[in-house]
Amino acid sequence: VGSTASRSYTPRILVCDDEDSLRELIRAVLGDGYAYIEARDGDEAVAILGTEEAPDVVLLDLMLPRISGVDVLAMLRSDARLNGVPVIVVSAWAHLEKEALEAGADRFVSKPFDPDDLVAVVDGLLAR
Amino acid sequence: VIRRLLHGTSDSLTARTALASVALVVVVGAVAVGLLSAVFAARTAAHKEAEAQALTSATLEVQGLVVDLENSLRGLALSGDEHFVTPWKQARKELDTKLPAFVTLASKVPGERARALDVQDQVHSYITDYAAPLVRSARTEPEAVSTPVATTVGNDWVNAIKSLFAAMLTREQRSANEAAAHANMDSRRAIAVAIAGLVALAAIVALFGVYVARSVARPVRQVADEAQRLAAGEEVTQLRERGSGEVADLTRAFNSMARQLESRQHELEEQNRQLRDSEHAKSELVSIVSHELRTPLTSMLGFTSLLARGDQDEEAQARYLEIIASQGQRLATLLDDFLSVQQLEEGRLELRTEWLNLVPLLRQQAELYSAHSDGHEIVVELDGGTLPVRGDEGRLAQVIGNLLSNAIKYSPDGGRVTLSGLHDGARVLVRVRDEGIGIPDEEQEKLFTKFFRGDAAARGIAGSGLGLAFARAVVEAHEGTIGFTSTEGSGTTFEVDLPAAGAAQTPAQAKTERSSA
Repeated sequence: VGSTASRSYTPRILVCDDEDSLRELIRAVLGDGYAYIEARDGDEAVAILGTEEAPDVVLLDLMLPRISGVDVLAMLRSDARLNGVPVIVVSAWAHLEKEALEAGADRFVSKPFDPDDLVAVVDGLLAR
Repeated sequence: VIRRLLHGTSDSLTARTALASVALVVVVGAVAVGLLSAVFAARTAAHKEAEAQALTSATLEVQGLVVDLENSLRGLALSGDEHFVTPWKQARKELDTKLPAFVTLASKVPGERARALDVQDQVHSYITDYAAPLVRSARTEPEAVSTPVATTVGNDWVNAIKSLFAAMLTREQRSANEAAAHANMDSRRAIAVAIAGLVALAAIVALFGVYVARSVARPVRQVADEAQRLAAGEEVTQLRERGSGEVADLTRAFNSMARQLESRQHELEEQNRQLRDSEHAKSELVSIVSHELRTPLTSMLGFTSLLARGDQDEEAQARYLEIIASQGQRLATLLDDFLSVQQLEEGRLELRTEWLNLVPLLRQQAELYSAHSDGHEIVVELDGGTLPVRGDEGRLAQVIGNLLSNAIKYSPDGGRVTLSGLHDGARVLVRVRDEGIGIPDEEQEKLFTKFFRGDAAARGIAGSGLGLAFARAVVEAHEGTIGFTSTEGSGTTFEVDLPAAGAAQTPAQAKTERSSA
């Protein structure tokens, strides 16, 4: 957490999860070094990705209402502007890891997760 | 027995075989009797012919001897030559044995004994009364005997005897001929009977063979072929029930076995399919439950480990604890609801079946949920009568509570929620109408599915996704139905339809009912 404080640029993170408490947990775990954009369902995620500047990393739940996380991922990967954005799938469906990675996810974190692991994964992807 | 074989159980193979065997025995017996009697008759006729012939030769012999007597006597009388005495003596001596033998033979032929005795008497009296004295006197006074009278008398006598012999010979010839004709006819009859019998036997055996081939071998072959196909696991058609008795029984039994096997097979396949479906549903449920448990657990564990670091301010700590508590509560509710629904579905949750008036229940629930929410107006519409049902008051209250809670949760902008009750003949209808967000068409089908929440979580609407599944299980356990109509954006109406109970009981009855429930 401390390392992000020294950066002059604040990375933007899109958090897509339908559970309020989980979005809050992710914010609390990753800390104040990021700018958070939140989407409560697939529709919102697609709208945000389509209109705003591309985020630096996307945390994506798979079980999203309306448009599923898998479909959001497919849309991201087929869009030239968003193709390079790192995506971390955060899901309770541990058995979907392979599918998620094949669909273009960079990392897979299963719920429940260790807060330190999530931090390490996000830092790792941002450092690339 | 034969009549019973012919009529009573004439359809049975055993009976037919027995009948054929009896027919064979009868035919063989008849042929044997016919043959034997013909052979006996032929033998008797041949015997008769032989006797007749023996008698004929004896007759001729005796006649020859008598002629010898007369010739030697005549020689002696005419010549007086002593040489003629020797053949005379010879003939007399032979007659002493031949004549009784002739009589014995003739006695075997009916009617001939008397005639033979007559012949014997004539011969004896010819010898004693004429020939012997003539021979004696020929020695003493040869002139006296050499008269024509004497020879004429002897000649006449012998001729009379010869005519007796002639008559006998004629009869014997006729009798021998008749016997020969009989013997001939009888042997022809025996041959005819034998041929007819053999033809009849061959016909019976051939007919029975054809019958066995047609009504036994062919149907049995057919059953065997089908059984082989059945054993090979091929589809089997129903066989035509032909043949008689046991064979038709066999075909029928095979058909029924094939039908049974087929229906067992279908039953098994259906059971397998249901098992697969239920196994699939179970594994799906397990993964949904684990997902539903993981979500609150993720929050609880995540915030707990943040708290363990202790680097937050008091406000954040209080906030985290609040989240942990509410997620824990969510887990507990989830488990309770899930277990209740499972128990209801498996019929393990016992429901009371007491007589109830739903009116006070509806009022209580409306009051309870009015207190929960400031932004909603809950209106109760009743027609003033009772709403009698039989059921479990607590569980039905939960159902109404769930529906009211949903109506409030899915009307985020507030508004009116109408709870109405109606006693319509045999039905009691309870409706909960809201003016909320409605249910999207694509979600309507899955609405009563366990854990299905649509996009409720995204809308920030709390819940386990079990409320409606629970409501449906309770209503169906009361032999009622639950349904809804909804338009997205303008609201939803749920309707619970329960069978109405009979007229209100006296308090005493109700009390008994309650204590026994």
